[in-house]
Amino acid sequence: MPSDKTPNTKDAAPPAGQTSLSQHTSKVRDFFSIPAPVKTLFDKAPVLTYPPNDLPQRAPKPARIPSLYVFISKEDAAAGRPSYNPSCLKWQTFLNFAHINHRLMPSSNHASPSGALPFLLPPSKNPQEAPTPITSNKLVKYVEEQGKTVEESSSMRYEAYQSLIDHRIRDAWLYTLYLEPLNFSAVAYHLYVSPNSSNPLVRASISHQLRSAAEAELLKHTAIIDTDDLYSEADKAFEALSILLGANSWFFGTAEPTLFDASIFAYTQLLLDDELGWQEKKLCRALRRRANLVQHRERLLVRYFGGL
Amino acid sequence: MASNNDSGVTLLESLRNPDNKRLEEKVKELREREEAHNAKAAQRLKDLIASNSTLPVTISSIRLIGQGSQHTRRSFLDRLFNPILSVNRDVPYTLSEALQEAGSAADKLRRFEIYHDVSMFIDKPEPTDPSSTPTDINIFLSARERGRINLKTGTDIGNVEGSAYGNLLWRNIFGGAESLSLNASKGTRTHSSYQAVFDTPIASDPDKRLTIDALASSTSKPWASHEEVLKGAGLKYSWAAKGGSSHQLSYSGVWRQITNLAAGASPTVRTDAGDSVKSSISHTWTSDHRDNPLLPSRGYLLKTVSEIAGWGPLRGDVGFWKSEIETNAAVPIPIPGIKGDSGVSFSTGLRAGMLYPLPVGFSGAPLPSRVNDRFQLGGPTDIRGFNIGGLGPRDGNDGVGGDIYAAFASNLLFPFPRVGKDTPLRFQLFANGGRLLALKDKGGNTSQSVYSTIATLADGLPSLAAGVGVVYAHPIARFELNFSLPLVVRRGEDARKGLQFGVGINFL
Repeated sequence: MPSDKTPNTKDAAPPAGQTSLSQHTSKVRDFFSIPAPVKTLFDKAPVLTYPPNDLPQRAPKPARIPSLYVFISKEDAAAGRPSYNPSCLKWQTFLNFAHINHRLMPSSNHASPSGALPFLLPPSKNPQEAPTPITSNKLVKYVEEQGKTVEESSSMRYEAYQSLIDHRIRDAWLYTLYLEPLNFSAVAYHLYVSPNSSNPLVRASISHQLRSAAEAELLKHTAIIDTDDLYSEADKAFEALSILLGANSWFFGTAEPTLFDASIFAYTQLLLDDELGWQEKKLCRALRRRANLVQHRERLLVRYFGGL
Repeated sequence: MASNNDSGVTLLESLRNPDNKRLEEKVKELREREEAHNAKAAQRLKDLIASNSTLPVTISSIRLIGQGSQHTRRSFLDRLFNPILSVNRDVPYTLSEALQEAGSAADKLRRFEIYHDVSMFIDKPEPTDPSSTPTDINIFLSARERGRINLKTGTDIGNVEGSAYGNLLWRNIFGGAESLSLNASKGTRTHSSYQAVFDTPIASDPDKRLTIDALASSTSKPWASHEEVLKGAGLKYSWAAKGGSSHQLSYSGVWRQITNLAAGASPTVRTDAGDSVKSSISHTWTSDHRDNPLLPSRGYLLKTVSEIAGWGPLRGDVGFWKSEIETNAAVPIPIPGIKGDSGVSFSTGLRAGMLYPLPVGFSGAPLPSRVNDRFQLGGPTDIRGFNIGGLGPRDGNDGVGGDIYAAFASNLLFPFPRVGKDTPLRFQLFANGGRLLALKDKGGNTSQSVYSTIATLADGLPSLAAGVGVVYAHPIARFELNFSLPLVVRRGEDARKGLQFGVGINFL
């Protein structure tokens, strides 16, 4: 609807035309505006308002603390144990570093606004409005906003070492978990396939999707998947990280653990966790050879996850 | 020269513009004569049959005279016609009985939808034929098979939904009225849908049908901030029962995915996001005695739907027993001073449903319901004056559904002045309402939680809305434009004040 306050730039326009236009617009507005008697009627409705209906049984109980949606079993979530997914575990550990009290919600990628876990759902302030989820890339900012701090390393080499974890170790992890057939059926299947459905067809379809997604991810960087190369690159990465850690408690010699410690812990915890039942242990053995990395994992487990 | 030219022009003119009036009159006259002839013939036949209705006859043969290519199997037709041949009957026919039987067989043939038109003739065999008896009659059916392949594309507009579709129908595949229908559509709400349906009559009976279908679709459910992706297959058997009711028994297995959540999705929907398989058997019974399902002025509808999922050998990921009952009744209201049907009618509908959680398999704890199994209530086609999914438990902006519901609607319909009662246009006054509740948590005692939730249905007034509107019953769908006001609501329920537009087939 054109506003009649629009300044008339064309002086030549006859004033009569302008009046008829403004008359016309006001008529249009009158047509769309609610007549007074109807408005009083509208204001009266609804006549009676009862308290809200209860939510279904599966609905999460309202909480005062934020909820972190991760890949985890129900029992482990209740006990606050580590997630079995590296990126979930990284941010779960990070929140523990920041002493942000949260509850863990077992979930799947379908629940996430970004298509990948984890994400954090802050407590609801208003029952009429769902809180906006916070994806992992905004968690550092969220922690700052909450007035908590996690130490940050200012090292120049930080990025270089971070890329070792994000590429070399992650690629070897993807291969060893999804593409080593023994590990896939012994580990990945129980973690990522069977919790979704009991139906064999659906399980077969999800298995196929997972394996081809992992393969596609690996083929992003190379033309062919060379197993020996993947493992030896990961071995070199562990060696470099082991030298970097040296005799320090935390990487880069910080007083408190940083996000970098969380990112490496996300892999070392899972590779050293015997309960997962690894069958093909090449990657696990490469890690076990670095005693200070093993101790680093144990130190974090004791301090932030209440021991083994 | 000039006159020659003139006459040439008039001739051309008259050729170009023939005397329309005279031509029309001629056609009309011809038509009238034909109609009169037909009527006379029909009357004569009627008289003849009436005066001979008790004449004993035997049906010695039934012959189907097809035109064009014939794909229909002999064995399929034999099953239809053999039972009425006199050879296969102990009791002799009278003429009227024989005609009735033959007529109903012709009617069945029509209902398979493989022929364009079926017409019936009766003849007496030549008396000189040594194999015939004097009471013998022969029945001839003339029918033309319809095209076997039918390709159709188009667009549909419904309740806040626009879509485009393509449909391929393959009729009479094996010559027994089997059909295969492939359907693909894309729309604003149903993002994509692909469906294949194979349908076949059983024992040449159009009332007994077996259907196998496969489906893949993805549908947006904005009232609960998600998209549901389905992949499944099913088997249905439907049959007609005495008294005009129909049954349908079906098995379906569906892989459902709740995915692509909106940014504002509630924690309840987020918890239910992901995969689940429903394996269920359901039964639907319908008894529809309304004069017009889209705009009933008299008669009633009774419908029940029962579904069992997950329990025992069914497996899957969800377990429940679901029952729904739907009734709808209409009565015409006589207006003093108006002779015959006044066109004013009162209709009322009642629906109720319950979801009873069951364990999956043979043992274990009953599983609480998920958002895609729970009932939704509200919207222009059930409880007017509320948005879709607007009634019942709500988390944030999401209608998360409930396990138990009851809903009613009453409509008073008036014909438009001047337009009259014979048009499908009505003015309506309505009041509708209901309650939708989630099962209470009674520490795992399912029956107790169901009973106490049912008791809660009567707590206070139901959520209510009333209003006025215009109804237009198009032959394929009913359109309503209503002005409504909510009267009673629960906090959080999504009521709608003012105008609301609804399109649908099944209105409460």
